Amino acid sequence: MPHIPIERHTLPNGLRVILSPERRTPIVGVNLWYDVGSKHERPGKTGFAHLFEHMMFQGTANVAKGEHFSLVQAAGGTLNASTWMDRTNYFETVPSHQLELALWLEADRLANLLPAMTQEKLDNQRDVVKNERRWAVDNQPYGTWDEKLQELLYPVGHPYHHSTIGSMDDLSAASLDDVGEFFATYYAPDNAVLSVVGDFEPAGALAMVERHFGPIPANHRRPPVPDTEIEPLIGAEIREVVSDRVPLPRVYAAYRIPVFGTDAFDALEVAVDLLGTGRASRLYGRLVRERQLAQDVTVMAFPIVSGAAIFSLWATARPGIDHEALTEAVLGEVDLLTDEGPSDVELERVQNLHAAGIESGQERISERADRLSMYACLFDQPERANSEVARYGAVDADRVRSAMAASLRADNRVLLTYLPAEGDQPGTEQAA
Amino acid sequence: MSELGNSNRPAPSAPRPYRFPDFTRHGLDNGLTVWLVPIAGSSLTSVHLLIDAGAAAEDELRGGVASLTARLLVTGTRRLDAAAFAAATERLGIEVNSESSWDSSRAGFQSLPQHLDAGMALLAEMVQQPRFDPDEFSRLKAERLAAILQMRADAGSLADESFVKHLYDAGTPYRRLAGGTPEMVETLVVDDVRAHHAAHHRPGRAHLVIAGAFDPDEALRLAEQHLGGWSGSGPGHRTITPAATGGRRVVIVDRPGSVQSELRIGLVGIDRFDPRYFSAAIMSTYLGGSFGSRINRRLREELGYTYGARCGFDPRRAAGPFSAAAAVQTEVSAPAIAELLVLLEAAGAAPPATDELREAQDYQIGVFPLRFETTGGIAAAIEPIATYDLADDYWQTYRDRLEAVDAAAAQQAAVELIRPAELLVVAVGDASAIRADIEALGVGPVEVVPAP
Repeated sequence: MPHIPIERHTLPNGLRVILSPERRTPIVGVNLWYDVGSKHERPGKTGFAHLFEHMMFQGTANVAKGEHFSLVQAAGGTLNASTWMDRTNYFETVPSHQLELALWLEADRLANLLPAMTQEKLDNQRDVVKNERRWAVDNQPYGTWDEKLQELLYPVGHPYHHSTIGSMDDLSAASLDDVGEFFATYYAPDNAVLSVVGDFEPAGALAMVERHFGPIPANHRRPPVPDTEIEPLIGAEIREVVSDRVPLPRVYAAYRIPVFGTDAFDALEVAVDLLGTGRASRLYGRLVRERQLAQDVTVMAFPIVSGAAIFSLWATARPGIDHEALTEAVLGEVDLLTDEGPSDVELERVQNLHAAGIESGQERISERADRLSMYACLFDQPERANSEVARYGAVDADRVRSAMAASLRADNRVLLTYLPAEGDQPGTEQAA
Repeated sequence: MSELGNSNRPAPSAPRPYRFPDFTRHGLDNGLTVWLVPIAGSSLTSVHLLIDAGAAAEDELRGGVASLTARLLVTGTRRLDAAAFAAATERLGIEVNSESSWDSSRAGFQSLPQHLDAGMALLAEMVQQPRFDPDEFSRLKAERLAAILQMRADAGSLADESFVKHLYDAGTPYRRLAGGTPEMVETLVVDDVRAHHAAHHRPGRAHLVIAGAFDPDEALRLAEQHLGGWSGSGPGHRTITPAATGGRRVVIVDRPGSVQSELRIGLVGIDRFDPRYFSAAIMSTYLGGSFGSRINRRLREELGYTYGARCGFDPRRAAGPFSAAAAVQTEVSAPAIAELLVLLEAAGAAPPATDELREAQDYQIGVFPLRFETTGGIAAAIEPIATYDLADDYWQTYRDRLEAVDAAAAQQAAVELIRPAELLVVAVGDASAIRADIEALGVGPVEVVPAP
């Protein structure tokens, strides 16, 4: 396994800087994680962290609206940003001789966003984000699944109860004052991690970082982190049936599990692959190939860092297959693996797939940078990027079994079922 | 107004030159061409086997057979059934893929270098001694039919499918999905797959690309060892001569209750051999191929109609479609169509501004090394050279050819390739909510069709 070089620095204003040179291709990645996500949103402001992310591309005192994108693309770069429950990230990959441009653009918007902010820009991006929601959620078959799982897994008022995209009403209510306050509260160098990965010389890059980020003041007045404390188990099974514009039924099962970074989460990541990764996985082999109950199966664990994380799986019914029979079969496979644990052959399979997958992911500068930022931002341990394969490989059959037994239980389960709507009237009904 | 930091934009330093990796090619006696692309610093090996057995090679009456054949390949060999084949590959950390497009069938895998030999042995066994089990065939056929249902439930996929269906005339295979229509797939039997494989999955017109970390002599020896005994040469692809239904018009595909309309506007574009390939690439970049392009800037950043809007060509062995695309909220469907038409019509009316031409070229030339940061990306870059018989120095001259596009050439490409009188508009959305507004635009005859 390759060893990612990691050089850590902290500027006097609190900005954590990770440098990781890799000279194979003359490109460099710049990646910033801000320790703010949708869990920090206040009631009535759902979707705001993500809307704010859009505002970060709307220009500054020094950069015109739209110019951030244009400058990076004209430099031969690619860029984007994303918001999730725990964090917001911004990233560019550019030819290495354009490193300073990317650093300057990131520092400039952290320093000089507000003087150029206008109501017109906010209204425009509010419309864009509403269309993002229509596209990704409202007009999408099964598009509400993760929003509904969050609502059912976390109680009302919990910071993870609402989705990152937020509600249309709350997006409508977002104001220019909200933009200013959010920026002043969360967008500060001491609330961020900056990773620079790829073709650069560390001393020169650090000097650039100091030049552009150094003058930006820290903000020591952040509010306390939101209380995400929650019971580890739901305590009952929750079932909901959604009538949607879909051609085939799909069943989702989701559970509260220990958070990302724990040994139990590592063990459940192995369970994800045993159940759902590859054609030799249990759910694919039994439900898709042998019994032909499912059209497809997907299993995933959401790497959430506080309160409780999520283990979820879904299966789409083959035409003519009853959704209850499918649900029973899916849960039966989960229970079977929990009872008997994986064989050595199964463990070898997922370990080798995982190792190859990590190797493949790390070929991408942007992926390396994002993982370094993630581990630095969420755990203050960027070195964890080098121990992923070892941590995964350390999980044995007993750990898989005990982690599954502790969390993947009927009294800790949400069952969400999508059924084809009769006519054109999608709706939701709560059961049990 | 306080300002922090330096307001002066930093200038770029001297670029470190990038060169696409050198490669060699070797012809085996059975006609298979082996391409070797060693990559310094790579710790993976990518293997891609390209066969002239895509949808363009199938008999139109058996539409979809190429796709089903490719998918059925991974369900085992005479020696290993589907479960055993999956177990044998995945225990090496390998996920074998096999798929088919219009112009080729492609099978391959990526692995750690120590598994290259074992992986190639399994890949070779898969293409030479496929199992083609009738039960697995029935399963994959049923899955394919259900997958088409799923795709049609997705407004964007339905818009893509509907656009080509209404764009090309009845004699052009490109009017349907490469994987076949449900009606075509319904008629297929396992013997069709066996026949397609027997006729087309042959080394004579095939290419094996190996990229990444390996010893070239050893890799060539492995290719000979595992695939040297494969024999024959298939007839290859048909000649497709695309023709448009023609005429400017609007087709609304009714999807009641939609909160957005998925728009596609365009016409028949260019083939992969078109001398205007590079001028068309630059023109479509400033028109709708980047964030700051005219189409995205107008529809997203000025009007807020959409999360994103774009346009582009899809060149194949014969002329694939050109289209502009956006998902817009239902209420603004008609004005969004009008805006897109204005931008498309204006493309040929004047040469591009100096800045936007420069920006489009700088973007396409500048991202060149970013496209090749991964082993898989480099292996994939050999595919057009192999499939379309492009020059071996294709990637070495690529940036110069983008740079050579001037304003007159870009405008000329727009004049010749975006002909306003031929633009087809497809809108997948709620007809009852958008029809009247679209008719009132007066951009052409409007037809409403039900969703399939």
